[in-house]
Amino acid sequence: MASISLSNIHKFYPNGYAAVRDVSLDIKDGEFMILLGPSGCGKSTTLRMIAGLETISKGDLHIGGARMNDIDPADRDVAIVFQNYALYPHMTVIDNLSFGLRLRGVGRSIIDQRVANIADMLGIGELLSRKPAQLSGGQRQRVALGRALVREPKAFLLDEPLSNLDAKLRSAMRTELIKLHRTLGTTIVHVTHDQVEAMTMGERICIMKDGVIVQVGAPMEVYRNPVNTFVAGFLASPPMNLLRGRLSAQSLSLDGTVLALPPALGQAFADHAERDVIAGMRPEDFHLKADAAASTVPVEVHAVTTEVLGPEVILVATVSGEQGAEIHIRCPRDFRAKPGEIVIFHYDVSQLQLFDPETTYALKRPVQI
Amino acid sequence: MTIAADDRRLNNMPRTEQTAVERRDRMFGWLIASPSLGLLFLVILFPVFWALYTSVHDYTLIAPNFDTFNGIDNYTKALGDPEFRHTLWLTAFFVAAVVLLEFALGFLVALMLNSVERFKAIYYAILLCPLLMNPVIVGLIWRMFLHPSLGIVNYLLSLVGIDPVNWLGSTKVALWTIVMVDIWHQVSFMIVLLLAGLSALPREPYEAARVDGASALRSFWHITLPLMLPVIAVTLLIRLIFAVKTYDLVYIMTRGGPGVATDLVSYFIYRTAFVGLNIGEASAMSAILLAVIMGLTVWLHRYMRSLT
Repeated sequence: MASISLSNIHKFYPNGYAAVRDVSLDIKDGEFMILLGPSGCGKSTTLRMIAGLETISKGDLHIGGARMNDIDPADRDVAIVFQNYALYPHMTVIDNLSFGLRLRGVGRSIIDQRVANIADMLGIGELLSRKPAQLSGGQRQRVALGRALVREPKAFLLDEPLSNLDAKLRSAMRTELIKLHRTLGTTIVHVTHDQVEAMTMGERICIMKDGVIVQVGAPMEVYRNPVNTFVAGFLASPPMNLLRGRLSAQSLSLDGTVLALPPALGQAFADHAERDVIAGMRPEDFHLKADAAASTVPVEVHAVTTEVLGPEVILVATVSGEQGAEIHIRCPRDFRAKPGEIVIFHYDVSQLQLFDPETTYALKRPVQI
Repeated sequence: MTIAADDRRLNNMPRTEQTAVERRDRMFGWLIASPSLGLLFLVILFPVFWALYTSVHDYTLIAPNFDTFNGIDNYTKALGDPEFRHTLWLTAFFVAAVVLLEFALGFLVALMLNSVERFKAIYYAILLCPLLMNPVIVGLIWRMFLHPSLGIVNYLLSLVGIDPVNWLGSTKVALWTIVMVDIWHQVSFMIVLLLAGLSALPREPYEAARVDGASALRSFWHITLPLMLPVIAVTLLIRLIFAVKTYDLVYIMTRGGPGVATDLVSYFIYRTAFVGLNIGEASAMSAILLAVIMGLTVWLHRYMRSLT
């Protein structure tokens, strides 16, 4: 087990393109860290630099306290699981699992024992004599994982390992990975663009965009307090509603709809009064009934359509008339509304987030009331 | 009825008659394939059967008729002919030499080119030049280059103090000269095919192997070579068949000489047919050669499949 420390890491390609810029991140020993971001944000490149498959153009990488910039991938004692598994297609499962150990000159009896343990742990014991082409996606995924586990490395690097699986299997593998981490306690860096994986698996999430880190924090911390509109709009499905508006001393005006702010909240945002803002409102903070304890204010919306998902209904509606901005509202499963129907919700203003329209970064966080 | 029972019932149902659509599709298939099938029959099947038919008759260019059926006489005569057996062994040696040397050289160059990032197209163009040349022209060029007293090769060798070599006139050297010229001409074929195979290999297993701790040599041995086996098999097979048929180079450069030093089987069959005028016996030899090539093809194919 080992900590991983990235200090001001950069990656420049020969054509001048900067894939990763000034990334600094401390991953604690035994931590499950998620690198999250859209395609091309530099998360996989960062992971590959940790693995040694990409050179580091600038900055320092330490694994377990030792500087690793110029160390060969084989000598970093990390294992990587690739998105498309990267199994050796001509080798049987048992050969795939044992290849790394054989290269390192580990004794036959130890190899057999470790392979048997891993095969048992992952439930792939009966697949050992098969070749990758004879396995299903989920089984290949397990073998790829097994190949990483069998080496007992200091850290696991997972590069979108679940993205080729179907939804049901992905969910099952999420749980298995969490359990595995709990059992082994090894440091894991998991790259994904799937915010559900990020929220459910990681102890901390590092959100990246355009090669830089935007925010690092525990899943709920990032969820509750996104640093900017990008994070607000990236996490959760449906994401946070982002509406342009204007803040005054005691109210927030959203395209004609005025939300009265409780005095305490008005005071919290006093420094930003009389300015344009982007209001961030989570879909689940709209309620059908007023709740005095939760400091709700009424909001009138025009229903556009409803998405009946089973356990819940997502209402797509506009605020401030039919031409207003569209928002998503999470409603109870028996909620229905006809297109054009006016529905009054009660928004919990204590959860309101405000962002600067120019910088897109969050304004001073409202105090909890 | 349950779904499982329903499935069983469907699976056990007898195969129904072809529908009208299926019949029409089949007819259309035959229709569009018939011109090529006709052409294939005309230029391949017909000559093959004609040669087989001729091989069991006493058919010469002096008496070009099928009046005398002589069974397997032509075959026993051919196999009993020490000169024919000599050409078979010589051809086997030639084929082994060119295929193995071209493969080794071709794989080496393909591996090097595969890691090259710049000017790949230029290297490709240069490499393809010999392949684009007609074998007759290749033979003529090299015959001039290798001329004992006027050729540039001996001149260049003399500059570094090496005595002139009788490239095509010495029984010890002539076959190796043909091998060398064939390599010059055909190695690009190997390179192009192997390079296509190499560039189609997935990148990820190599990265996994790097993290697993494999050196470049071990990656080559444990990943590149096994993954390339199907491509290698096809490349060797095609090259082997073409090498057995080598005729043009021998005809232009040595006419099988000096003596019988470069008398490869295709050239020998040609001589039997059109110099010795014995079409029947030449046809029997062709049939034997066909059987050998087919046998080799099947063996190599099976062997490579067992490896993969």
